[in-house]
Amino acid sequence: MKKIFATFLFSPLLALLPWSWVAAQSTMELAKKEGKVVWYSSASLPLSQKICGLFNSKGLGIECELHRDGSGKLYSRYVQEAKAGIYTADVFHTSNIGHFVNLTKQGELTKYRPQGTERFDKNFLDKEGYWSVVRASVYIPIYNTTKVKESEVPKSWLDFSDSKWSGKLVHAHPNYSGFVSVGLSALVQKFGWEIFDKLAGTKPRIVQSAIDTTTFVVRGEAYMSLGGTGYEPFVQMQKGEPIKYVYPKEGVPFIISPVAILAKAPHSNAAKVFSDFLYSKDAQQLMANTGVYVANPNIDYPKEMVPLKDVKLMIVSPEDAVKMRKAVSDNFRQKFGV
Amino acid sequence: MAERKAISLKRQLDLTPVVWIFSAFLLVILIIAPMFFLIRESLLIPQEAEGGWGLANFIQAYTDPLYRGPIFWSLIISVSVSVISVIIGALMAWAVARTDLPLPGLVRVGALASFITPPFLGATAWILLAGPREGWLNILYRIITGAGEDSYLFNIFSMGGVVFAIVLYVYPLVFIVVNAGLNNIASDMEDAANIAGAGTVSTMLTVTLPLVMPALLAGLILAFLETIILFGTPAFLAIPARQHVMTTQIRAFMQSEDYLVGLASAYALPMLFAAILLLWIRRRALGRRGYATIGGKGGQRRLQKLGGYRWLLFGICMLPLLASIVLPYFALIVASLMKTQGGGLTWSNLTISNYLFVLRNDQVWPSIWNTLILAVTAATCGALLASVIAYISQRRLVRGHRYLSFLATAPLAIPGIVLAVGLFAAYTHKPVVLYGTLWILFLAYLTKYLPVAFQTSNAALMSIHPELEESSRILGANRLVVFKDITIPLFKVALVASWVLIFLPSLRELSSSVLLWTSKTRVITVVILNFYEEGRLDYVSVLGVMLMVLTLIVVAISYRLVGRDFMNA
Repeated sequence: MKKIFATFLFSPLLALLPWSWVAAQSTMELAKKEGKVVWYSSASLPLSQKICGLFNSKGLGIECELHRDGSGKLYSRYVQEAKAGIYTADVFHTSNIGHFVNLTKQGELTKYRPQGTERFDKNFLDKEGYWSVVRASVYIPIYNTTKVKESEVPKSWLDFSDSKWSGKLVHAHPNYSGFVSVGLSALVQKFGWEIFDKLAGTKPRIVQSAIDTTTFVVRGEAYMSLGGTGYEPFVQMQKGEPIKYVYPKEGVPFIISPVAILAKAPHSNAAKVFSDFLYSKDAQQLMANTGVYVANPNIDYPKEMVPLKDVKLMIVSPEDAVKMRKAVSDNFRQKFGV
Repeated sequence: MAERKAISLKRQLDLTPVVWIFSAFLLVILIIAPMFFLIRESLLIPQEAEGGWGLANFIQAYTDPLYRGPIFWSLIISVSVSVISVIIGALMAWAVARTDLPLPGLVRVGALASFITPPFLGATAWILLAGPREGWLNILYRIITGAGEDSYLFNIFSMGGVVFAIVLYVYPLVFIVVNAGLNNIASDMEDAANIAGAGTVSTMLTVTLPLVMPALLAGLILAFLETIILFGTPAFLAIPARQHVMTTQIRAFMQSEDYLVGLASAYALPMLFAAILLLWIRRRALGRRGYATIGGKGGQRRLQKLGGYRWLLFGICMLPLLASIVLPYFALIVASLMKTQGGGLTWSNLTISNYLFVLRNDQVWPSIWNTLILAVTAATCGALLASVIAYISQRRLVRGHRYLSFLATAPLAIPGIVLAVGLFAAYTHKPVVLYGTLWILFLAYLTKYLPVAFQTSNAALMSIHPELEESSRILGANRLVVFKDITIPLFKVALVASWVLIFLPSLRELSSSVLLWTSKTRVITVVILNFYEEGRLDYVSVLGVMLMVLTLIVVAISYRLVGRDFMNA
């Protein structure tokens, strides 16, 4: 608290403070009149619902209405609705950074810097101020410890193509999951398009969500997963399910999940209040507790979580994510069949 | 004097033309507009390409080998399912109608229970039972045979698995149709064959079979159509096996980030034409009577004595019931009560927390509410609309009544997902934007189930002689009054039956809803699909159990109101 006060005290922006305070007050007033905020979110259903629940428990008189779906489904829904001139979504949140580049280009987003984000790492913020990253995770394989011996665990992404895993893997779909779309882009940048032939050669079970891959491995229906989120396995491991991460030596794709306010948001003030909330310490801590990396630097992570600095990361630039999305989707369809 | 005045007033207020216009208007909204926009959308070339009109969508949809695969597999699956369903359904119908099978009532009730079970719930249950590694039957198989960890008896995630899981819920259609057919054929011919020395089997094959051929053909076509339009089962079982079928491919087009509504429309149209063609063939084969022949139960039906074989046949008849009802419901109930999905079948792994989660989930109650609103309104409006149209066309009240009855049966030929693409294309544009409201789902449900209600009303009206109506017309009442005071009380049963026949399938409608839902208009099946896509088989099971409890309550009430005949309508 003291630190914040000190910052403000010596800030040259001090003169602006009353103004922003007044603005914040009136935003809140208007948001209350709007009464609700519609959140298109690709975070897993339990996580999204917890976040909405926490927001609703604040008693602001603004209700969080959740529309949870896969990143790809959310984006196509938004595009279809916009084509029809229907605007229901206020706050847009997926795990495909490419969506935010596209939406910015098409003028579908409103510039907004949520409160508190000015203290964050610049990498978490869009330079132009349209979107900001609210959470991040890794695209990481897992294995079932009762089915796979420690010595057999793949050391490289290429090891998954070993024929002994044929029919025993599960893979999620890039058209549904932004995680998979961006994650596969990273793998292609590293290994070329042949990686698709290699992985498809093992005849994996195809599921939709990058979260479902975890449940397949937990049930034992698959021995290992490709293309899952890093945070759902964390939740399951905490529950005592017999799974572990695989850390391929080439590293794991780092997936950021931005949030933005839509230009035609029907509840534009509530959208601001909700965006501020997403970066509040409460909300960020809630996310961190479920195994998600968050933008706020002042958060305590669960001790079982591997610090991000200890993980070798593969990073896809936003521009590449946009450029590669369709090719990833088409090649996936071609090689994996659906 | 006052009396005469009242009568003449009633005559002046004859609302027939108004009713005609209103009904015609509704049918245009329900059928013609969606189909028009479907065709329009399929001919529109995307602006990103060159824009304008042309066949580009059709060329892409039918020349790309990736999109031909699903057509091939849809056909393979539908042919396999319909052939197997006819064999099972016909055998069971024959056993129930023509032999001294023990407990025929049980077989009949079992077939009806399969009939009202949503196929996607059956598919979920069979994932639990026959997933290659962790399916309970496969675990049992490994325990019994001592086979290695990698071996399995069943793999539900395969094309064979898809066929199996669909047959379980499609064979009752054939059973119902063939059973009705057999009940309408007297045993005289079979008796003659027996007297001439033919045994049970050869009588069945050479006499009974040819007699019920039209019913078999009708059953075959119904089963084929039911399968090719199915979305849930292939979405649950074929996609994990890396193969789309036509319906799942249409959804993939509709929900692509590249906005492929034109491609979806071009891909959907041949399904429409195929359905029209098959229904036309069925009509030709059956003459103009349709498959549900009413009355005409002349002659006697004698039961073949099977001796010791009757128990064998009974065992065979129980197999489909075991696979479609007993095992799946057991699996769903157990899965809904399991703490962890990997925890196995132990007492310590039981919990009601899944129910608590689902009941406290803020998406569940609105979706149940939406489903009920839709089912009640679609059933009420549908039953009324169907009876009005049936009345007008039966009594030939207005010129052009044939067009009305044609339009009321036409949706039979429109697969749910095709209808949804059409409704989407029609009602996402100004001036009429219904997308995002319950109205568009209402239109889908009403259109989809209108034909069943219409056929029920039509059949019931046929049995009410017009004399009763004519006499009250002579006494001065106009047609609306006659309809209200004479006709409706006489066919109340048909009205209730129509209502139930729209209400029940509305509870489980998935193939249209999956394209038309929005965050405010979720229905229960969409919540189930969303849970499934996140891998929550436990929550899917909970909702499945709740859905079936609701269904059974409605069925029980309907039995009390109209007897069991409503299922045979």
